[in-house]
Amino acid sequence: MSCPRALENVRVVDFSWVRAGPWATRWLGSLGAEIIKIEWPENERGRLPSTTTPQNLEVNLNTSGNFNDTNVNKKSLSLNVRTIKGLEIVKRLITISDIVIENFSSRVLQNWGLDYQELCKIKPDIVYVSMSGYGHTGRHHHYTTFGPVAQAVSGLTHISGLPDKPPAGWGWSYMDDTGGMYGAMCALTGLYQRNMTGRGQHIDLSQMVSSVPLNGPALLDFTVNGRGSRRAGYPPGNRAHWPGTPLVNNYRGPTVAPHNAYRTYPGEYNDWCVIVCHTDAEWQRLVRVLDAPSWAVSPKFATVAGRLDHQEELDEHIEAWSMTLGKYELTERCQSAGVRALPVQSAEDRIEHDPQLRQRELYMEMEHPALGRHKVQNAPFKLSETPASNHLPSPLIGQHTQEIVEGLLGYSREELRAGFADGTFWPTERARFPYMEEMLR
Amino acid sequence: MSDAPGTDAQNLPGPLVGLRILELADEKGQFCGKLLGDLGADVVKIEPPGGVRNRHLGPFLDDIPHPERSLSFWYYNTSKRGITLNLDTADGRQLFRRLAATADVILETFRPGFLASLGLDYESLRTQNLRLIMCALTSFGQTGPWRDYASSDLLHMAAGGEMASSGYDEADAPNPPPIAPGGGNAWHMGCHFAYMAIMAALVYRTVSGQGQYIDASIHEACALTTEAAIANYIYRGEVLRRQTGRHHAARPTPRTQFRAKDGAYVCALVAGRLNPKYVGELADLLDGYGMAGDLKDPKYQDPAVIAANTSHIIDDLVANFISSLPAEEVYHAAQARGFTWGAVRAPEELLDDSHLHDRGFWKEVEHPELGRSFVYPGEAAIYNGSPWRISRRAPLIGEHNTEIFRDELGLSRAELSVLAENRVI
Repeated sequence: MSCPRALENVRVVDFSWVRAGPWATRWLGSLGAEIIKIEWPENERGRLPSTTTPQNLEVNLNTSGNFNDTNVNKKSLSLNVRTIKGLEIVKRLITISDIVIENFSSRVLQNWGLDYQELCKIKPDIVYVSMSGYGHTGRHHHYTTFGPVAQAVSGLTHISGLPDKPPAGWGWSYMDDTGGMYGAMCALTGLYQRNMTGRGQHIDLSQMVSSVPLNGPALLDFTVNGRGSRRAGYPPGNRAHWPGTPLVNNYRGPTVAPHNAYRTYPGEYNDWCVIVCHTDAEWQRLVRVLDAPSWAVSPKFATVAGRLDHQEELDEHIEAWSMTLGKYELTERCQSAGVRALPVQSAEDRIEHDPQLRQRELYMEMEHPALGRHKVQNAPFKLSETPASNHLPSPLIGQHTQEIVEGLLGYSREELRAGFADGTFWPTERARFPYMEEMLR
Repeated sequence: MSDAPGTDAQNLPGPLVGLRILELADEKGQFCGKLLGDLGADVVKIEPPGGVRNRHLGPFLDDIPHPERSLSFWYYNTSKRGITLNLDTADGRQLFRRLAATADVILETFRPGFLASLGLDYESLRTQNLRLIMCALTSFGQTGPWRDYASSDLLHMAAGGEMASSGYDEADAPNPPPIAPGGGNAWHMGCHFAYMAIMAALVYRTVSGQGQYIDASIHEACALTTEAAIANYIYRGEVLRRQTGRHHAARPTPRTQFRAKDGAYVCALVAGRLNPKYVGELADLLDGYGMAGDLKDPKYQDPAVIAANTSHIIDDLVANFISSLPAEEVYHAAQARGFTWGAVRAPEELLDDSHLHDRGFWKEVEHPELGRSFVYPGEAAIYNGSPWRISRRAPLIGEHNTEIFRDELGLSRAELSVLAENRVI
């Protein structure tokens, strides 16, 4: 790779764990920043427990598949920051770094003696991004979140599901993914400003709070029109409007029909396609794809108002047809006629069957020392001069301790050995991995 | 209601002050422009004469449809100035080139090849401005077999994998469909990644002095936003099943969503955490309301007994406890004792959230043409050194034509009149 990297010469001290924080620094790493992940095996969260270790491997700190994908492009320094010596070492690292990022509870860094004021004494222009559940400011700063809780409290869970059913919510930690996005966005914004002005700052991100702006139009419907979202027909599932309820925009897009998920052939668990017609002209194109059966040319379906009025009947007809086609074939037929349709895709579908993602190389193989060769997710954007790339597999825990302590910070081999002996770089009672023994030779 | 109290920082400019962004964006990219504008960039939204299509998206102020009354448009276009420009005319394209000559970033969401067909592709715009960054945020990117496919939020949530992960237990909704969560989040996902790419290019430009072109794909952004679903397949070959209000899983997991006394739900993450310490704390929480049942029995300090009684603890004790109280009370009582639980709230219930008020989250935004002001949601993060702010409500159609074409580009009033007559602006 001869391309320059967008974040060349940017160093990040990464205290983050679990998912949201590591997902943030993963992207900074793919853009070329040097990410130094500070870890301690006794209170590690992210590598274990693992439900993504391949069936043929032992579950240990180095074999989580999801950890690997979430932590590519990083180096690992195992360090007990809760000791005087460990704290001293991490401070030395911060003096030569640009960004500090963490997603602990709100007072953890402060309790370590590393709050923003202290960080500034060490490195005056540091960009410090804290990513706690509720932020460092506000009376509930000590509350804790995981993605599903942030989604519940912020209103994101409520907006997903069928009317008169419990919320379907999000089947994963959307706000760990999106919280990670905001972590990276805050870090980049702070870094840009630092480069322009020479000034760093503390950016106080909150996973719960960052979910709220994702409900903007629903919130304005309330603050402006006084209309709440605990109402008949909301949320309307995959439809734009639920039949028999007042016609009100549902904050996803235009109020139209058809707008739904339909079963496709052969009717297995993920055999579904979504079809949407935004205009009468698009509906007429779908009618042609359907081969203009008598039901479809009925005047009651000719207008958007008619299709909304007769949506149940409309959806039954469409599904009777969609059940005869595979979801990719249906997609191809509709799209080639200018009709909005795409398949519901599982992870397997995206990786194995999606021709677009294949052509765009979203999943590229990479070798990992413990996991072997597997596909890893790439960036969804192509920067022409500084392409993002995955250049390092996720680190084994403590894999780069020697490189960082000796090579970057200038400690001696004797000091490294002493740090292993006194529990600074690895718990003394805990078995070392073979690559740690190598460091101590 | 307004900004966080008592800090001098409130008068400082935002972190992106001094940047000029030209936004040619519909629903796909307008949120990215808002993210940039609320952080201080001068975002100039360029609309066709008459305004962009998504001004016609509801809900509307007082339910009266009008291109200046779309609440969706209002929300996604704060802190921007607005001009109209007809790129189908040679004069329009010439004016656009003049604007591009001094811009830092162009954000565009046209179908691939459209700007090139007008001679406004990155390579030609770059010749007059080597620092220019141009981000094309499109449904599928500039290449590939699907690049010309039509899309929508629902389509992206299907193909991106969001729907395959979200839905219901069979018990809650017989024969349930996969569910696409609402709110237009496919656009949010694309815009978050586009913002990231633009900022990376801007940071690089501070070092290199050079701009670059960014080809960003919403489909890919969505495909990257399903947490461990991809890793489960890559490393274990597992395809996950949908479950009501909780994580997709290879094998069924206990419920985490419970109905409270007031009919609202509570998200209580209990399963998978039931060790003796957790059960002891749970017993104390429930006992405070006389709802502990047998949970204080010392037998529950034995992990084997806990494992054998998981269903009893979750489906009887926790469920009964939550059903005896309003959701908000469960939420705060549990969090005060260290439980990572939350009330499942409707968005509007956030207006009463005291924590958000402490953070100065809600903002009054003036709409001077209406003589009214409205409360808008605020910032994801507090920038302590360079605050986020809504500098103005969304622009009216062509609101800043005079300011930008006359005052900044130096056109005369007469020239502006001619351009307006000819539907150039």
